[in-house]
Amino acid sequence: MQNVLNGIPLWWYLVVSSALFCIGLYGTLARKNAIALLMGVELMLNAANINLIAFWRYLAPASSGGLAFAAFVLVIAAAEAAVGLALIISIYRTTRSIDPEKLDRMKL
Amino acid sequence: MTIQQVLFIVIALAVLGAAIFVVTTRNLFRAALMMIAAFFGIAGLFVLLDAGLFAVAQVLIYIGAISILVIFAVMLTRGMQGMVPRNSQATAAAVTVAVVFAVLLLLFGPLRLTLDLARWPVISLFAANVSPRDVGGIEWTPPGQAIPAVPDTYIADFGRSLVDLNQYLLPFLLIAFLVDVVLAGAIFIARQRRPAEIVEDRQRQAEEETEEAEAMRRAGVLPGAASLPEGAVASASDH
Amino acid sequence: MNVINDLLKIIGDFIAGIINSIFSFSPFLADVVTMGLAAVILCTFAALSFMGLTYVERKVVARIQDRVGPNQAGPLGLLQPLADGIKMFTKEDTTPAAADRWVYNLAPLVIAVFALTTYAVLPFAPGVVGTNLNVGVFYIIAIGSGSIVAIIMAGWGSNNKYALLGAFRTVAQLVGYEVPMLLNVLPVVMIAGSMGLTDIITQQTTLNGNPGIPFIVFFPLSALVFLISGIAETARSPFDLLEAESEIVAGFHVEYSGMKFALFFLGEYVNALAVAFVFSTLFLGGYAGPVLPPYIWLLLKAAAVFFVFMWLRGTLPRIRVDQMHNMNWKFLVPVSIVHLVVVMALMKLFVTNPAQVQANGGILVTPGVQAAILFTASIAILIGSLVIAARRARIMRLQEEAVLEQRRAENIAAVSV
Repeated sequence: MQNVLNGIPLWWYLVVSSALFCIGLYGTLARKNAIALLMGVELMLNAANINLIAFWRYLAPASSGGLAFAAFVLVIAAAEAAVGLALIISIYRTTRSIDPEKLDRMKL
Repeated sequence: MTIQQVLFIVIALAVLGAAIFVVTTRNLFRAALMMIAAFFGIAGLFVLLDAGLFAVAQVLIYIGAISILVIFAVMLTRGMQGMVPRNSQATAAAVTVAVVFAVLLLLFGPLRLTLDLARWPVISLFAANVSPRDVGGIEWTPPGQAIPAVPDTYIADFGRSLVDLNQYLLPFLLIAFLVDVVLAGAIFIARQRRPAEIVEDRQRQAEEETEEAEAMRRAGVLPGAASLPEGAVASASDH
Repeated sequence: MNVINDLLKIIGDFIAGIINSIFSFSPFLADVVTMGLAAVILCTFAALSFMGLTYVERKVVARIQDRVGPNQAGPLGLLQPLADGIKMFTKEDTTPAAADRWVYNLAPLVIAVFALTTYAVLPFAPGVVGTNLNVGVFYIIAIGSGSIVAIIMAGWGSNNKYALLGAFRTVAQLVGYEVPMLLNVLPVVMIAGSMGLTDIITQQTTLNGNPGIPFIVFFPLSALVFLISGIAETARSPFDLLEAESEIVAGFHVEYSGMKFALFFLGEYVNALAVAFVFSTLFLGGYAGPVLPPYIWLLLKAAAVFFVFMWLRGTLPRIRVDQMHNMNWKFLVPVSIVHLVVVMALMKLFVTNPAQVQANGGILVTPGVQAAILFTASIAILIGSLVIAARRARIMRLQEEAVLEQRRAENIAAVSV
């Protein structure tokens, strides 16, 4: 008993997005560079988007809930990248380093 | 095996391979390029899911905007190239991620069919094959039933749902507001300050600290040593 | 069925019929082969038009600048593109020693691919289109933004300061001009009620197939801004800051030679031609036209738009970086937003569809009247914004002159003391 479209069951998408999410999580936790860390976050957001759109297609293609939330995720990702990178560049200007482990002071 | 299956497997492997390259490589510029490749593959997955609008939006926003921003940041912080890609907690992170992936696989993967996790007490709440009916007034396709085609007007429906008060108008407005704030905030943060401004800032800071120390001395917290405030000023202007 | 008018479609159906009969055992395989063949034909068309355009452009610009242009290779210099091609092929293909090899070698390929994929959605005649995507306009703009990645790859991979500077300039320019481009496609999408290019052309023809009112009459301001940002997007003169020879040598492709350079060149021309095609589809009614067959009309319209590109290239000097950004962010974007809002309100107020009047209210008008109203509004916004900009510029100029005058007076005073 499972949902299958064109021979692809829903859980294939879920597994791929889980794997992508975990890779992104590893990047966020284990990288030594703040930009690489942001890339990990972007991958995680993309994994969430795959999930949203897969659920939309398989479970409720007539409603636009999945699409709406996927669109919100896209916008949030863009906003997050803009602010995050602005912060990173500003920090790099003052401290010449973007290693998150070294940025443990409360002021610059 | 249908053509869609073959396409799915090829795209999925490419996306995951590119993603692994992104989180392990030492060269950040190549990591950003591989991230673009992964985004492209995800756009392909969206096409397989009949969401052409989102495939195109993915290309426009993720590749045309976010990746370009990331590449710019990589170029502007060139001094940080070629550092060790992993930090001190990489092993712990790998273990955590493996555990998370295992849990996700149990929830979504093929194993859940044999283990019948839906019957397990807590997991059953989250398991994918519990089919919630009439959640939020949306009709769900129950497992095993034929999946209806996407309506031709799905883009128009999606657009209308964003401006419908009973659907997603409020989140849409919130997101619009957020983007406005972010635009202003990002410009403010990343703005290159003129040297005169920085000097002025530091002077003001030093003055404030002197005043603070003065006030404390007057209140009797600090014994009337005049050298201390000077020391504070000196350390403040060091930064 | 008119044979001449539907020539492309008849030929296409004939070839598809042959392929279908050969691969009758598997309709899927037949589809793949047909699609592949269509892609090859489109790419060949784009590459051939690239060869032709280089010749025509050199001739036209030469005529504008009172020169003769290429006239040695073949009669009237017609074989010049071929000679250029042979030269490109036989040139030594170099890679800088310190380059990022993979990135460096991949960049020209990526730019050519992104340029050619645009042609997949362009309708050349009724029923003759690579794929009738329902998000066609959106797709073209998204693909256009993809070429930015290729330019960054070239700039970074070359490991050359000038290349990197060129890439930086390009990205700032292309990302910036995407905004007015999108903002001015929106009115067209709104009035056509679709993002598919075929639907947009259908909206510009009357029901019996005659050409209707093209959208340039509805939105002259949009057409103008789209043209300007289109030129900026394809980095043609006067927006060719990224390859300003006198400032940064040749910009992002300074290290490229031979075939790789030719691919960059091809990407540039194919992109420019695609913008001309898109402009004629969105604003000039695409293939719709009287007497002549549709594909000829489309080519004529695109050629006319491309001639404007060449004309600008031959006459205008290159603009400065700060002028380019000021024009985008301080003029084109605000004007486009005001225009969009006004047009939106007017289209809600004056509607042509009776069903819409019953649903949402509004005043029922004929398309001609609607066009007249929108045209007036568009022109009014254009003139108003130009007046404001001119006033502002005058104030700034006067201030600058006052400062200069003061300095001159001070200098004279200092000398005389």
